[in-house]
Amino acid sequence: MPATMNPATSRIQVRPSAEREGRKDYISIRDYGFWYGQKKALDAISLDIPERQVVAFIGPSGCGKSTLLRNLNRMNDLVDGISHEGDITINGRSIYDPGLEVISLRRRVGMVFQKSNPFPKSIYENVVFALRVMGVRDRSILDEACETSLRKAALWDEVKDRLQDSALGLSGGQMQRLCIARAIANRPEILLMDEPCSALDPIATGKIEELIHELKEQFTIVIVTHSMQQAARVSDRTAFFYLGKQIEYDTTEKIFMNPSQAQTEAYISGRFG
Amino acid sequence: METSDKKAQPAPESRFTVSAWTLATDRWMGRVIRVGGVGVVLAVFGMLAFLIFQVFPLFTGAKVASVGVLKVPATAVAFGEDEYGDIPYVVLADGKVVFQRAKDGSTALEWVPSLGGRTVTAVRTYPRAGQVFLGLSDGAVQELRVVYRSSFDAAGKRTVEPTVTALEPMQVGRPGLPCLEVWNAKSPQARLMLVRQEVAGQPLLTAVRLTERKGLGGKAKVTQSEPFVVAADAPSVAKVLLPSTAESLLIIGKTGEVRTYADDGKGFAFLQAFVPFKDSPDAAITAAGMIFGNVSVVFTGRSGEQQIWSMYPQLQPDGKSLRRWGKIHHGERLAGPGAGIYAAEGNKCYLAVAAGELRLINMTTGSLRWQGAAPQGAITQVAFAGNYDRFTALSADGQLHRWTVVDHHPESSWSAFFGKIWYEGATEPAYTWQSSAGSDEFEAKYSLVPLFYGTVKGTIYALLFALPIALTAAVYVSQFLRPEYRQVIKPVMEIMASLPSVVLGFLAGLWLAPLVDPRLVSLFCAIGILAPAALSAGFLWSALPQRLRRQVAPGMEFLWLLPFLALCAWAAWQAGPAVEAALFTVKDSASGLPIADFREWWRQTTGETYDSRNSLVVGFVMGFAVIPIVFTIAEDALSNVPNSLISGSLALGASRWQTVWSVVVPTAISGIVSGVMIGFGRAIGETMIVVMATGNTAVMDSNPFSGMRTLSANIAVELPEAAVGHTHYRALFLGACCLFLLTFVINTLAEVLRQRLRERYKVV
Ligand SMILES: Nc1ncnc2c1ncn2[C@@H]1O[C@H](COP(=O)(O)OP(=O)(O)O)[C@@H](O)[C@H]1O
Ligand SMILES: [Mg+2]
Repeated sequence: MPATMNPATSRIQVRPSAEREGRKDYISIRDYGFWYGQKKALDAISLDIPERQVVAFIGPSGCGKSTLLRNLNRMNDLVDGISHEGDITINGRSIYDPGLEVISLRRRVGMVFQKSNPFPKSIYENVVFALRVMGVRDRSILDEACETSLRKAALWDEVKDRLQDSALGLSGGQMQRLCIARAIANRPEILLMDEPCSALDPIATGKIEELIHELKEQFTIVIVTHSMQQAARVSDRTAFFYLGKQIEYDTTEKIFMNPSQAQTEAYISGRFG
Repeated sequence: METSDKKAQPAPESRFTVSAWTLATDRWMGRVIRVGGVGVVLAVFGMLAFLIFQVFPLFTGAKVASVGVLKVPATAVAFGEDEYGDIPYVVLADGKVVFQRAKDGSTALEWVPSLGGRTVTAVRTYPRAGQVFLGLSDGAVQELRVVYRSSFDAAGKRTVEPTVTALEPMQVGRPGLPCLEVWNAKSPQARLMLVRQEVAGQPLLTAVRLTERKGLGGKAKVTQSEPFVVAADAPSVAKVLLPSTAESLLIIGKTGEVRTYADDGKGFAFLQAFVPFKDSPDAAITAAGMIFGNVSVVFTGRSGEQQIWSMYPQLQPDGKSLRRWGKIHHGERLAGPGAGIYAAEGNKCYLAVAAGELRLINMTTGSLRWQGAAPQGAITQVAFAGNYDRFTALSADGQLHRWTVVDHHPESSWSAFFGKIWYEGATEPAYTWQSSAGSDEFEAKYSLVPLFYGTVKGTIYALLFALPIALTAAVYVSQFLRPEYRQVIKPVMEIMASLPSVVLGFLAGLWLAPLVDPRLVSLFCAIGILAPAALSAGFLWSALPQRLRRQVAPGMEFLWLLPFLALCAWAAWQAGPAVEAALFTVKDSASGLPIADFREWWRQTTGETYDSRNSLVVGFVMGFAVIPIVFTIAEDALSNVPNSLISGSLALGASRWQTVWSVVVPTAISGIVSGVMIGFGRAIGETMIVVMATGNTAVMDSNPFSGMRTLSANIAVELPEAAVGHTHYRALFLGACCLFLLTFVINTLAEVLRQRLRERYKVV
């Protein structure tokens, strides 16, 4: 394989963006290490994620992207024998603060999974699920939340006539958008997305990417992706991980056009991964 | 490519061909599987067919066929016959007895009484007893004994020879007055002869009691009482009913009033008077007959209405309960005024003659067994054979009509099995199962309703106990417990499921029931405390600071919860006697001292029974049989809920319990429902536990401290003693049919429900 630039790299177009700068750091991860039992999955991660920006995590499989993402809303808590070092703070407060209920953390930090996982309920019930578990009973609030989130998720026009139908009758792309609508229905501040498009066709992927771009106005978004193009298209900042270590974290432009680390360059040009 | 090449390389295509062996195996296995599948279906339907085949005869009614008419002298007024009906006899108005062979009508014997100047004025035959009574013109009664002597000739052919023996006439009625009617009956103590005479148009009934004492030489000595007048107060006598036991007497007046008397040792004391058809325009009673058993009477009126009256204990104004006559049934209306009611022997059927029609009716159930045309002449007497396979009727035009009856199940009908029936001697209509008793005159009662009730009751108690435990355990084990423990618990539960129920029943009946019995209140306390204790434990836990809670790994909470619950239960058990003393102290009926005894308290305050082998014990132990089944299936369904849904829910900020309740349970609901239904099916069909852990009384009450009898236990208990082909036997099969149907319906409903739920909550 020639060491010259891979044609793939040249195809990546970085979306120029003016609004990237000047946002305050919202999530900050400091010297963070994480173990699954004896196995260290993350090592010395330190990065700051600004408010209302899209940050992409890239890196080869098994490098710990998902692990880091899942730590942001402590979804790893259910795994046996985990331990961590360092700290993660959201808006200045540690997520490991003993006074902080995990549930309230998760209400603040929404999550969209790799494989869409709508509940076997109606579309409506899926969307308002988070509100229901919060104890909202008022029908008008629920209706309104349902409509706004579905609109935000660009799904409203497709499903508005069949809100009471089972969510399982939707197409793959619709389901994933439904999961996004569901995640934003209780207006979290942060949205975590773990390879949200990996199971979707290009058209559905395109829609979701557009959606991410719009959601950025309101949410801080962390997205794990395998597709370099996607990272370049949707994110403002990109972090590259390798073997549980953070190799490089910078603006997306910088990472894709002029990476400072050789490993990063090698990865984005497709020489490994 | 050359052909030679092909030959050189042996069959290069062979790697694509499938070996004959594979194909043959495939084909054979296909067939074997098909045979197996079809076999199962056939077996189930075969079983059903067998059950229906066994049950069907219960609902076919009676088959009655005429087997000929015998021409007899036109002056015949009464008849009798031998056991086989081969040589019936008629008694003519002048007292002559004529025996005729049934097959050709030839005369076998003619017997002429020697009356010494007197004439015969009344005749009555008792065919089954071989007795003929001739009422004479001077008020005397002569009894004739008819005996058929069978003898076998050298070829082994049976010849029957009738003989008639005349006894000394006895003065029963007022001397000089002709007897108009004569009756005979026999109580355990004495025989009674009754005659009706008329004095200046007024009826006169006179009776004589004959007491037989075995003398020293074994020779019977008969003493005759003085004639005594009975029912002197009866204004008119249209018909007299004297039960064969002579313990009571019914005089039916011309206006339709029935006056009843009871044997009081000396004579007949007036008991009660009633008018059965007092609400009809014409109250007259056109026919009446005493039903086998001597407790019930059928009355028919002018317009064909029927009423059945019976003696049963009735509460009197003074609070005492006395046996009195009361109406127990309204029979179906006959086609016209009843002309005769003739009871069958050995069962509660009777033949009603009305408007040229014969109806064979079962008194108890009111079911019409058979219906046919009556012969031309007016019927004067009907006699049934002792085994209810024939009956014979004498008509006024000198004909003896003979019918055969095939009715194996006279007491069966839909209402007998499923309806409320007022049985003789009972105080009200009831659903009763009582298939056997000591006496021959006992009427078997085959209501399946109490058995249904028992089945449902047992099932409900079992499920009330089992479902909450099994389902919460399934949720806990599948969603909260750590996998290591789950792997232990599941096989243990499966072993529990395979425990033979006879072992459980044995434990329940012989160990648990006596153990629980004296400490019932303790048990209630211990069980009752568990739920609040668990709840408060949860509450306490959530109140603990995070730091402390983190010490216990998720899924290990039971390590401290279990000892806590055990402690609570133990404390409650210990507190039991104190609670009992505080709440359930009653006065002991024997000693009059206050005692703390829940059982006594229950009996006294609710008036219900208390059995130590009661529904609670059954429910508890049957619950044990059901729990593992429900648990296993529900747990499987719950742990099959995809993890992605659970994480999805948790990530949305749902608590673990909210996740379980609003995501996991609905998703697994179809599996849970099938678990519950299979548990239900198990409880319904459960036999040995019920047989062993209850008293098997077929009672119908919701009292948790009484026993029960279920359909299945009933079959297990009674089938061994039921005679094949008998009504009892078939009634048991009917119970089996119902059980089959019940489980079939429930399983079908469950399956439909399950499919619907699955449709609704299908998982991607
Ligand atoms: N639940 C888990 N238990 C133990 N090890 C895990 C678990 N989840 C992930 N890992 C390990 O942690 C490492 C990082 O995994 P992950 O974060 O899923 O990688 P990525 O998402 O970047 O592909 C991998 O080596 C994986 O095997
Ligand atoms: Mg991953």
